[in-house]
Amino acid sequence: MADDIDMEKPAEKVTVNNDCVMKSEKMFSLKRWNAVAMWSWDVECEICAICRVQVMDACLRCQAENRNDKEQEECVVIWGECNHSFHNCCMKLWVKQNNRCPLCQQEWSVQRIGK
Amino acid sequence: MMSSQRGQSSYGSKAPIDLEHIWSDLLQGIEKVYNKQAMSKKQYMDLYTHVYDYCTNVNNQGGRGNSVSIPSAATSKAKKSQAAGGAQFVGHELYKRLKEYLKAHLVSVLKNGVDYMDETVLKFYTQQWEEYQFSSKVLNGVCAYLNRHWVKRECEEGQKGIYEIYQLALVTWRENLFRHLHKQVTNAVLKLIEKERNGDPINTRLVSGVMNCYVELGLNEEDQSAKGQNLSVYKDSFENSFLEDTERFYTRESAEFLRHNPVTEYMKRAEQRLTEEQKRVQTYLHEATLDKLSKTCEKVLIEKHLEIFQAEFQHLLADDKHDDLGRMYQLVSRISEGLTELRTLLEDHITQQGLSAIEREGEAAHNDPKVYVTTILDVHRKYNALVMSAFHNDAGFVAALDKACGKFINSNAVTKAANSSSKSPELLAKYCDLLLKKSAKNPEEAELEDTLNQVMVVFKYIEDKDVFQRFYSKMLAKRLVQHMSASDDAEASMISKLKQACGFEYTSKLQRMFQDIGVSKDLNEQFKRHLTNSAEPLDIDFSIQVLSSGSWPFQQSVNFSLPSELERSVQRFTTFYSSQHSGRKLHWLYQMSKGELVTNCFKNRYTLQASTLQMAVLLQYNVSTTWTATQLSDATGIKMDLLLQVAQILLKSKLLSSDDDENELQQSSQLSLFVGYKNKKLRVNINIPMKAELKQEQEATQRHLEEDRKLLIQAAIVRIMKMRKVLKHQQLLAEVLNQLSSRFKPRVHIIKKCIDILIEKEYLERTEGQKDTYSYLA
Repeated sequence: MADDIDMEKPAEKVTVNNDCVMKSEKMFSLKRWNAVAMWSWDVECEICAICRVQVMDACLRCQAENRNDKEQEECVVIWGECNHSFHNCCMKLWVKQNNRCPLCQQEWSVQRIGK
Repeated sequence: MMSSQRGQSSYGSKAPIDLEHIWSDLLQGIEKVYNKQAMSKKQYMDLYTHVYDYCTNVNNQGGRGNSVSIPSAATSKAKKSQAAGGAQFVGHELYKRLKEYLKAHLVSVLKNGVDYMDETVLKFYTQQWEEYQFSSKVLNGVCAYLNRHWVKRECEEGQKGIYEIYQLALVTWRENLFRHLHKQVTNAVLKLIEKERNGDPINTRLVSGVMNCYVELGLNEEDQSAKGQNLSVYKDSFENSFLEDTERFYTRESAEFLRHNPVTEYMKRAEQRLTEEQKRVQTYLHEATLDKLSKTCEKVLIEKHLEIFQAEFQHLLADDKHDDLGRMYQLVSRISEGLTELRTLLEDHITQQGLSAIEREGEAAHNDPKVYVTTILDVHRKYNALVMSAFHNDAGFVAALDKACGKFINSNAVTKAANSSSKSPELLAKYCDLLLKKSAKNPEEAELEDTLNQVMVVFKYIEDKDVFQRFYSKMLAKRLVQHMSASDDAEASMISKLKQACGFEYTSKLQRMFQDIGVSKDLNEQFKRHLTNSAEPLDIDFSIQVLSSGSWPFQQSVNFSLPSELERSVQRFTTFYSSQHSGRKLHWLYQMSKGELVTNCFKNRYTLQASTLQMAVLLQYNVSTTWTATQLSDATGIKMDLLLQVAQILLKSKLLSSDDDENELQQSSQLSLFVGYKNKKLRVNINIPMKAELKQEQEATQRHLEEDRKLLIQAAIVRIMKMRKVLKHQQLLAEVLNQLSSRFKPRVHIIKKCIDILIEKEYLERTEGQKDTYSYLA
């Protein structure tokens, strides 16, 4: 990551300088921007195939146990090498019985865990 | 006392005594007792001893004494008792003589009083009674030994008509005095009571004396050992006629009074009469009469005039006569089922008041949420206070208030004009927005809290709570994203109130939204730190809110090519964000994003607060001062119809100018920068929401609502059917309506539609051979 930024550095400097030069001539110049963005899990299917709840929400178990919001926050998503994704909580229970992806039956190995 | 008794008794057992021996002495003493002459302790003891001696004496003498003292029929009895008990109790002769004496005494008393009437007879009767009662108690004491042995024995043997001496005296009084006088006496008492009811003072002691006597005379003849009176004499000779009299008196009086006085006055009178009668019982009647008397009075004074009361109730409500209403409540509540009609009347009245109050406000109620909600609250507050004070928060009246509020809040002039019951929740949510949004007239924290509580009062009555949720969440989202909340505490407090009213599920998304804002704050700080550390600050002031998708009611973003100046910020942040999190993707909501532009082309240096689209368009004028709409659309990537709307607003705010009318813009319209732009303020907000945007939002809200409701209905049907397995159509409808009542009122045809959907999806099937029955398919 740090390397990326380093590489951009020279290019950016040039544009910044250009902006400064242009600023006085421009009719409109940008001063401030308050952006709004939505985040969602980068998944192919928005519904967890194990508990049938949207992955953006906490899994069924977490909701049913009525945990407080902080705990539900920690109900994240897990991706397998097959690129299928589920709630981490759901998958933890699943692999105890069957170490295969519930969708494609491939051997389950973790690609990454959401954060 | 005890020792002297023993002495006498030992003496008595030695020297047998005949009744004739002692009778003259005894009689003399008894006469002294009944003639109110003072008696020394010694004489009293002597009398007692005589009786004692007599009773014990015969016992020792066996058969001889028996034949002497008990002649005729009683002989066989005595013999029998002797045979049965092995011991002999003697006293019949004495008992008989006492009885005769009492009778003779009373006959002579009666002679003096037989012609008296009214108060004189009362005076005579009560005085005689008091004396007689006292004397008889003394006599009873004298004859205590007789009571304890002979009388007790006789009673145990099952002899009828034998009493302890005091009781004997009462029975004799009843036979010889009461029987001849009671009609006069009772009449006199009733006359006296009527006199008192008419407002004249009376000597209540006369009445209470008679009552004491009547009560005392009610002997429990069947079973003497059961103490206490059975009130039979009191009831037969007095109470029944008293109640009849009362009914007659008040029937006449109430009819008369109502003819000459308004109902409100009558109620005061009735109330006063009821307390008077209660006091009457307490002062001089037997407490057992209280219930019957109250019933009688209530029947005559209230129940018979119930219709008049009900008619008056209407007027009192209309005139806000709280005191009179309270009085009427107190009176009518004494009658069983009496209040039902009043409750219905109250409900209708409140409904009417609510409807007309809203209608009175006219246009204002349609357009101004504050007017609408406060109008409702005024009606509610007024009648809530009435129910609390005048009707003592009677459950039935509270229910009537609730029903009425539910009616006029969900269906009134405003909702009819809008042709939708969802107008009420919408206006209520808008009112919340007014309260919670930053503005010049935000109330104090405590006052705000109070107002929010008031909002919850109205909320309770809203049928379509899901509509409220939808509008509320949209407005909350806007307040949060635009940093327009007046107070975080107030926001949190309102959410917790809603949670309390409708449960966790209802507010979970609202809560998530609230949290996202907090998370974003931290994120911005981290990003700023990151920028400072990287030594390459962005050339614009950048801030961001990252919201979790699924919780926010925002629509998909429009697509266009972001100005390069902004693009760089997006990239820098995206890189930063993915270093903080993993597995997440960001989706930018440009229509929610906004910023500030500084102008260099006008006389003054203005700061324009603009939407991202406006910024994109205006930045094009850095390149050229005139564009056609088509050119602008190509350059910014904004679709034509949207671009025209953006241009329209810029024309309106006089930043651009065109030869075409701002409402009739064409693709070919020339849009030029208006160099002569002027504004009094240096900071100008040109970010006005676009019409189409608003309309689109409204439609989407409605559409989503219907879809969500269908899902909720289906879920409810499945839940119910899973539990019941087989259910009739009507029962299923009823249960669905019941389950969803806390959210909204589903229409029956929609429920039917949902049942069909579920049959199609094979969750349910129609039970074969049975009409209107469904079964659940697991």
